[in-house]
Parts: sequence; structure tokens; C-alpha cells
Amino acid sequence: MKFGKRLKQHIQETFPDWRDKFLSYKNLKQIIPSLSDGSNECGKSEEEFVCLLNCEIEKFNAFFMEQEEDFIIRNKELQQRLGKMIDKWGPMGDQESDIDYKDEMARIRKDVVDFHGEMVLLMNYSNINYTGLAKILKKYDKRTGGLLRLPFIQMILEQPFFITDPISKLIKECESSIDAMFPVAASKKKRKREEEEEAIVVTGGLVFRNTVAALQTMQELRKGSSTYGHFSLPPLKLPDSDFFSSFQLHSPIAIV
Amino acid sequence: MEARHALSFQSSSARQLSNHGAPGGLSSSLPVLSNPLLADYQEASMERTLASNPIDVRPLLPSNSGVVGPIFSSSAGFSSDLQYSTSASHGKHSTKTPFTSQLSNPGATMPLYNPCESRVFKSTSSSCYTTERNNDSWITDSVRSYLDCPVTSPGLNNQIDDKNGVCVVPSEDFNKTSDWQEWAEHLITDDNALPPNWVDLLVDDTTVAGPEPQIPYQMSTTPVNCPVQQPQVHQQQSQVQQQQQVNLQLPASSEETCTAVTPSSSAGGSSTSTKARMRWTPELHEAFVEAVNKLGGSERATPKGVLKQMKVEGLTIYHVKSHLQKYRTARYKPDSVEGSSERKLMPIEELSSLDLKTGIEITEALRMQMEVQKRLHEQLEIQRNLQLRIEEQGKQLQMMFEKQQKSGLDMAKALSSDMDKREAIQDSLAKSEEATLLSQHQLPADVPENAIPAAENISSHVREKQKQPEVEISKDLAATVTDKSTSQPVKRLKVNE
Repeated sequence: MKFGKRLKQHIQETFPDWRDKFLSYKNLKQIIPSLSDGSNECGKSEEEFVCLLNCEIEKFNAFFMEQEEDFIIRNKELQQRLGKMIDKWGPMGDQESDIDYKDEMARIRKDVVDFHGEMVLLMNYSNINYTGLAKILKKYDKRTGGLLRLPFIQMILEQPFFITDPISKLIKECESSIDAMFPVAASKKKRKREEEEEAIVVTGGLVFRNTVAALQTMQELRKGSSTYGHFSLPPLKLPDSDFFSSFQLHSPIAIV
Repeated sequence: MEARHALSFQSSSARQLSNHGAPGGLSSSLPVLSNPLLADYQEASMERTLASNPIDVRPLLPSNSGVVGPIFSSSAGFSSDLQYSTSASHGKHSTKTPFTSQLSNPGATMPLYNPCESRVFKSTSSSCYTTERNNDSWITDSVRSYLDCPVTSPGLNNQIDDKNGVCVVPSEDFNKTSDWQEWAEHLITDDNALPPNWVDLLVDDTTVAGPEPQIPYQMSTTPVNCPVQQPQVHQQQSQVQQQQQVNLQLPASSEETCTAVTPSSSAGGSSTSTKARMRWTPELHEAFVEAVNKLGGSERATPKGVLKQMKVEGLTIYHVKSHLQKYRTARYKPDSVEGSSERKLMPIEELSSLDLKTGIEITEALRMQMEVQKRLHEQLEIQRNLQLRIEEQGKQLQMMFEKQQKSGLDMAKALSSDMDKREAIQDSLAKSEEATLLSQHQLPADVPENAIPAAENISSHVREKQKQPEVEISKDLAATVTDKSTSQPVKRLKVNE
């Protein structure tokens, strides 16, 4: 139930309007024992199971493409905002001490970073649902002795929600424009980690919390399992993993 | 849930129809939706049946009625699934066509069509939009690939325009013009009847573009590129007629599909029908923005005007409408779209934070946030690539095993000991995969880079071998693994054997 628990946790931590868009892992898992495995004709059949899975996949596809569309629109808008700023104040506007400029730039920066985060979270959404599906299929094959898993996964790999290349491209573009947008890095390393953490907890917002949570979830899920096997992923080794786990994500109220 | 009830009903009807429990093949009475994806799978699992039980396509459909809309509409439901073949499959068409040509014999095709597969593929809904992965405009690529592999369907499908960035192209191999017309007529006359689901799927294709005069155009221009599929189509058609009485449909979905069928109802602008889901791309959005700007801005532009201005084939007014709505919202409240959930939850936090912290600190915080996000993105990419490779390898190994199975054994023996073979194959597969993963696992620091050469080595090694499957291959793999990594994997494999 480790994945199930993790998924549940992730769902609780994620954006409210995303919550019902995830895989109904628990429900599907509960169906598995009632599947007919050749001996038990009264159980659910493969068609039914596949139907359910397809339902889920449709759900993912619909949600994913909708979000993607939103991101594309927002991306353009952010670019336009930035373009306006540059037009108004010139590309070296950093020198300006105009308060309007600073405010607007700060807002744009925050929006872009959050935008980036949301896109990454959508990718994470795709990934976590894929993982869940793979697990369910593995359980199915184990229970029924069928060979549903391989071809089904092949089909999943071609689904819109799994093909995250357009989003990935947007994310990369975002990253490069952020690099250009931020003022030259202050002496960041001199600052203490704790101060930074605090600042982040305060200003990070939901998007940031979610990305940290997602990283932690990913790490957890890949720690190694009892059923480690042929199609499992190797454990995740993140540098700075302690740093990530030290984030206090559970209190919604910032501690200043 | 309605879907479930219909599902169970259809399952029982399916059982009546099908020779349930025949592991060796599929009942020929089962309608099998040919599908380009299906065709691909035919290649993968040519003479083996994937599922132990033949699976009727029908039950799939109702369950998707509410949920499925992704491509065409929530109303089109299941239809959307079948209509869209993955364009990824198109990308691989050159290799697949030899196999599809094998399917030209109607008699032979039936056993090869595993309803399970067809069901599996049904969900490759909007894949046509999505599967292109190269740097070119994926739309044009998918267009080309569509031409490679005859994947056409009446309805929106044929509006592939190289110049335009739209790929609203669900496609079905088996959509031959004449068949479509027959079925469409059939369904139109049976206005409130409950036609078999998969026929609806086909029909939905035509009727999605109902109100527009494009249907005749589309149907007439359906390229007959896939002669292979036609016999299957005919077969299915006869089956459909047979099963018509038996099949039931969810009332909801039947309504939806019925409305989709009749041009009048769809022309009535029912919001449920003809709402195909469109996968927007930045290029398409650019064209959209240009069109809107030409028409005087997002407020003044009308969906119809924008549609005309964009001149993108396959784009419906519903697509434009919903997109315009999103666009307007984004423009007038740029912040609300991005941070609506956020801001609702922590308005106080934000204000106080901005007051208390200096600009530099905020910038630093944002920088940290970027770090985390970049890291997550990186890891997601790596994980995704790994998953792809693992599955790819699994697929290759399985194909290899099947080939050996075919060549090495009697077909009769293979059928009778099918289950055993599968288990054995699975075991061997498992061992091979384990070997692969272990080799990956041994190199934690650079998982992706080392996984790739190891995986490639193993697959090439496996392909070279022509011995009996199972134990020998596992040992060969073990040998390969030993070459490339530490001795631990070998030990482990040996223990397993």
C-alpha cells in the first residue's frame, strides 16, 4: 500500500482542482482480487477491467490536454508581459529604480517561476499516474496470469497524457527565460540555508510546496520495494536529498 | 453507475456471443475493430493471443461514455477512442506495413484480432495529436505519417493540411468510404435505436463534422491507402449487423451518439456532441492569437471569425470557442489563472511576506524554488526515459521469445501449452529484465547513461541468439551482464535459476 499511501498523500497536498484527476489506485487495486482468473467465472472479466482502465486513461488525457492548453496560453501571456516591460524600460531595465518597474518585474518573476512549477507538476501528474497504472497492470497479470500488462503499457506510452514533450519544451523555454530575467546572482552561498528555507516557506506558495512534495514522493517511491523486479525503476539518488526532506511542508501558516 | 450496468450486460452478451474461454483464438463472431494501433499490435503479437479470453469490444464503449470525450466530445465517448489511432504508430509505419499486409486474408485476420488488444487500443484516443516527438512541427509529421499508413476516417480525419498546424485527426484504418456511408445511413435511419457501440464509434467520426459540409468532402477523399483493412471492415460490418440485436448501449451514450449521428441534432449546436478534444500547440496558438488580433482583439473577435481567419482544417468552432474563452480569461486576469488556488489559500501570507521580506530575499527564494523545480523536472525526465526503455526492452524480448516459440515448436503444441509458455516467457522476461535492471542498478550515479548501453547490449545480444528460450537466454544475458557490470548480477541470476 506504499504507493497507494503516497499517492493519497500527494493528492491531498496538491492543488484542489487536481485532486479528482488522479488515478483511482485504491479502487482498482480492490477490484483485482475479484477478477476471474480462469477458475472463477463469476469474477470480473478482462473487458470490464480494461474498460475501467480506459476510463482512467481518458480522464488523464482530458485533464492533461486541458492543462496543457492553459499553459500554452499563459506562456504566451507571460512572454507578452515581459515584452511590454522590455519595450517600456529597455532590456537593461534592471538599472531602473522605478518602483513600478520593480513591482511589475517582481510579479512577473514570481508568476513565471510558479508557471514553471505548475508545468513541472503536470509532468509529475503524468508520471505518477503512469506509475500507478503500471503497478495495477502488474497486479492484474499476477492475479489472472494474463498478459495484459505489456501491450497495455505500450498503448499507454502513446497516450497524450504520457507524451509530455510539448510541456517539457515549454518548461525548458521557461527556464532559459528565467535565467535571463533574474538579476545577477547575489552572493547566494554566503546566506545561511536556514534563512533561505524560511524565505521559501514564506514566499514559496502552493506551487513550490507541491514541487518539493513531489520530489520527496518520487524519492520515496523509488526507495526500493519488496516486489522489486523486472520492470521496476532503480532507486532515486538525489543530491541534496536531505535538504529537500528538511522542508517543513505540513504547516500551511508561514513561520516568520 | 450506468456504465457499469451496461458493461455487465454487455459482458454477458459478449459471453453469449463469444466462445468464451477459448484461449487459443478469438471467436470469429466477435466484432473486431481494426485499428492502426491494433495493426501494430498484430505485429507484436502476431500468432499469439494476448488475452486468454476473447474480449468483446463493445463493453468498452459504454464505460467511456461519460469520460471519454477527450477527442471528440464527452458525448462521443468511446467513439473517440477508436477513432484516434496513435500517430506514434504512424511513425513506425514503415516497419508495420509488412505485417498489416499479412492481414489481408479475412479468414486469417479474425483470429489475430484480439479483442483485448482492440480494447486496449481504444484508449489511444487523442494520440494522433500527441505522438510526434521530433523537432519538426509534429503536426506536419503526423500528417506525413498518416499518409504513410492508411489511417483515415471520415469525419475530421481527412482534413490534414500540411500547412496548418492542426492535427485533429483521429483515424481508423478501416474507414472506407463506402462502408462509412452504409453505416451512417444505417444509423441515421435507426434514429433512436441502439446500434452496436463500435459502429457508433465509426459513425461518430463522420458525424462529428456533421453540421459542416465537410463530411461529404471528407468521406470522398478518404484515401484508400489501406486495402488490407478493407476485408476486415467488411467482416466487421456483417458482424455488426448480426450483433445489433444483442448489443446494448448505455442510454446516455446512445443518446449522445445518436445526436452525433443525425446532422440536425449536431447542427443544433448541442454542446455535448462534436466537442472533440483538441491538443493545442504553441504554433497553433500563435495562429490563433494572430487571427484574434486581426479581428480586433480578444473582446471583439468572434469564434466564427477566428475560425475563418485561421483557416485551419479540422478545427471546429467549438475548439475555437473554448480556447477563446480561456484566452480571454487569461488576458483579463493574468494572475488569477496562474495563482488562483494559491492566492485563495494564502492571501495573508503573501501580503505579509512581501512587506517583511526585501526584494533580494524574495528573489533568492524564487531562485531556490527554481532549483527545486528544475531538479524535479530533471528527475521526471530521467524517470520517464527509463520507463520507456524498460518497456521497449520488455517488448523486444517478448517478441523475440515469440519468434523462437514459433520457429522452434509445433503450433499445436504451442496452443496446448500456451499457458505454460506464457509463464515461462514471463519468467524469462522477468529474468532478463532483472538482469537489465540490475546492470542499471549497479551504476547508481549515472543511471541513464549506463542503463542505455547495458540495455542495448542485452537486446542486441538477445537478438543474435537463436537458441531455445528461457534458461539459455537468461544465461546468455547473464553473460552479457557480466561483461558490462559487476559480478553481482550474475550471481543473482544463477541463484534464481
